[in-house]
Amino acid sequence: MEAENVVSLDNVSKTFRDFWLRPTVSAVDGLSLAVRRGEVFGLLGPNGSGKSTTIKMILGLLSPSAGEVKLFGLSPRSVAARRRLGYLPELSFLHPFLTAAETIGYYAGLCGLSRREASRRTRELLAMVGLESVAKRPVGEFSKGMARRVALASALVGRPELLVLDEPTSGLDPISTKEVKTLVKALAQGGMTVLTTSHLLADAEDICDRVMILNHGKSVAEGEVSSLGTSLEEFFLAKVGSVQDFALAPFLR
Amino acid sequence: MRPYVSITQATALEVLSSPLSLLVLLAALAMEVFAPVFHYHQFGDATRMARDAAISALFTCGAVFAVFGAIRSVRREIETGTMEMALAHPVSRSGFFLAKAAGVAVAFTVFAVAVIGIALTMFAGAAVGGAIAEETAQLARVYGPCVAAGVAAMVLPLVLAAALNRFFRFRFTLTAFLLATAIAAVAGVSSMFLAGGDAMRLVPAAVLAVAPAYVLAAAAAAFAVRFRANAAAALSGVALVLMLPAADNYYRAEALARGGTVPPAYVALAFAAAVPAVVGFLLIGIHFSRNRE
Repeated sequence: MEAENVVSLDNVSKTFRDFWLRPTVSAVDGLSLAVRRGEVFGLLGPNGSGKSTTIKMILGLLSPSAGEVKLFGLSPRSVAARRRLGYLPELSFLHPFLTAAETIGYYAGLCGLSRREASRRTRELLAMVGLESVAKRPVGEFSKGMARRVALASALVGRPELLVLDEPTSGLDPISTKEVKTLVKALAQGGMTVLTTSHLLADAEDICDRVMILNHGKSVAEGEVSSLGTSLEEFFLAKVGSVQDFALAPFLR
Repeated sequence: MRPYVSITQATALEVLSSPLSLLVLLAALAMEVFAPVFHYHQFGDATRMARDAAISALFTCGAVFAVFGAIRSVRREIETGTMEMALAHPVSRSGFFLAKAAGVAVAFTVFAVAVIGIALTMFAGAAVGGAIAEETAQLARVYGPCVAAGVAAMVLPLVLAAALNRFFRFRFTLTAFLLATAIAAVAGVSSMFLAGGDAMRLVPAAVLAVAPAYVLAAAAAAFAVRFRANAAAALSGVALVLMLPAADNYYRAEALARGGTVPPAYVALAFAAAVPAVVGFLLIGIHFSRNRE
């Protein structure tokens, strides 16, 4: 029987070590979480709280120092588990020498799609992200926002069951941000499970069903967004700490 | 297999699209075309010079192409995060590394075809010219078209690629590289008709000069997974130095100077020695890939 939880972390820790294997940073410390099928789960936290490290362990890019990570009930390093996954990294990692169409075609190939299917899917996705007119331009010439759209299309090319989004609206203008949020909601309504990280609490509040707040690699709060009883921003600040009031006067003189 | 074919294709495209690759190819062709011409007028030993220039170009420029092609391709994947993107797909780490190495090998093979094509052209021109001409003027008449073919393989692709880039947005570097290879291959095949079996004497020696580059490409790709570009290049240099005694196939080309050829059995032996070295470096690369975080 297939696991109900698409992603599960059980008491996972990750400590980075230097060349001499001395521990340098404890990025994640005893973290347990479960992402249920069909939900939009938000992993929130300040910079350096361990969000990206957690995402990379879920993707099988990093191995946990302790604990267990399961993706579709399998090891995240298993090819079978990653066949059902789509990933949008925080920065749009694309080959600058490939065109937009070639980039999506390349990732379609990595998902094992046949040439014909890859070509059809590439056309569909270029239309979806509004880049049909620049399909033959190298992505190295694209603006950050356009590259982000190509990366998003690449993440969706294999029709994943789980979409992992690391700061999905990073570098996008307000219109594109709204489009991405609408897209994520539509994908979730279509049954896709979404795991996202974000610094933008308003965005997370708009799209997430459930959130976990990380600080110093540990979970400090977890729950349904609808049951917070306050805005996500107030809840976040209460859990993670207050905003520093910068004394700007000396710089403005 | 489809994911790995995609990675191999993209890697070959990346290496062939690199301006450095085109520069190394043009340097190799210039070395082959001009070195024998200049020396001919001083020493009058065109055949030998054509042969030596061709094998030197293949060996030195081939080593540079293979090492820097492999290191740049692997390091760029690691440093820009595209490897991270690829490994989030249903692709194994060892398969990803092997597909990258295969892509570099494909790109190097294209490079070798171009260099061997012009090598055959120059060797045939020198051999035929030396055989039939008794005066410099006559020899230049026979040798001239070969030099012209070599120069065309360097200049024409740049002009055509610029035009195709200007009017049809073709990739300039990739187009120039592939056009140069096509012209060189046509010139090389044509030269075989010109010189008959004589030009073919160069082929086994050229193949021997190519073998170490495949070993170096595998070594450089493996080191690039674990070390930064400079360190990977230095370690590949050490591998080259260690390989040089085994690369005495280079000196076996001396057989050509005596009007003979390198025996096919020796070529087979050299490749039999190269294959375990390639496999060994690929296994090192796989080990580094699996443990990389």
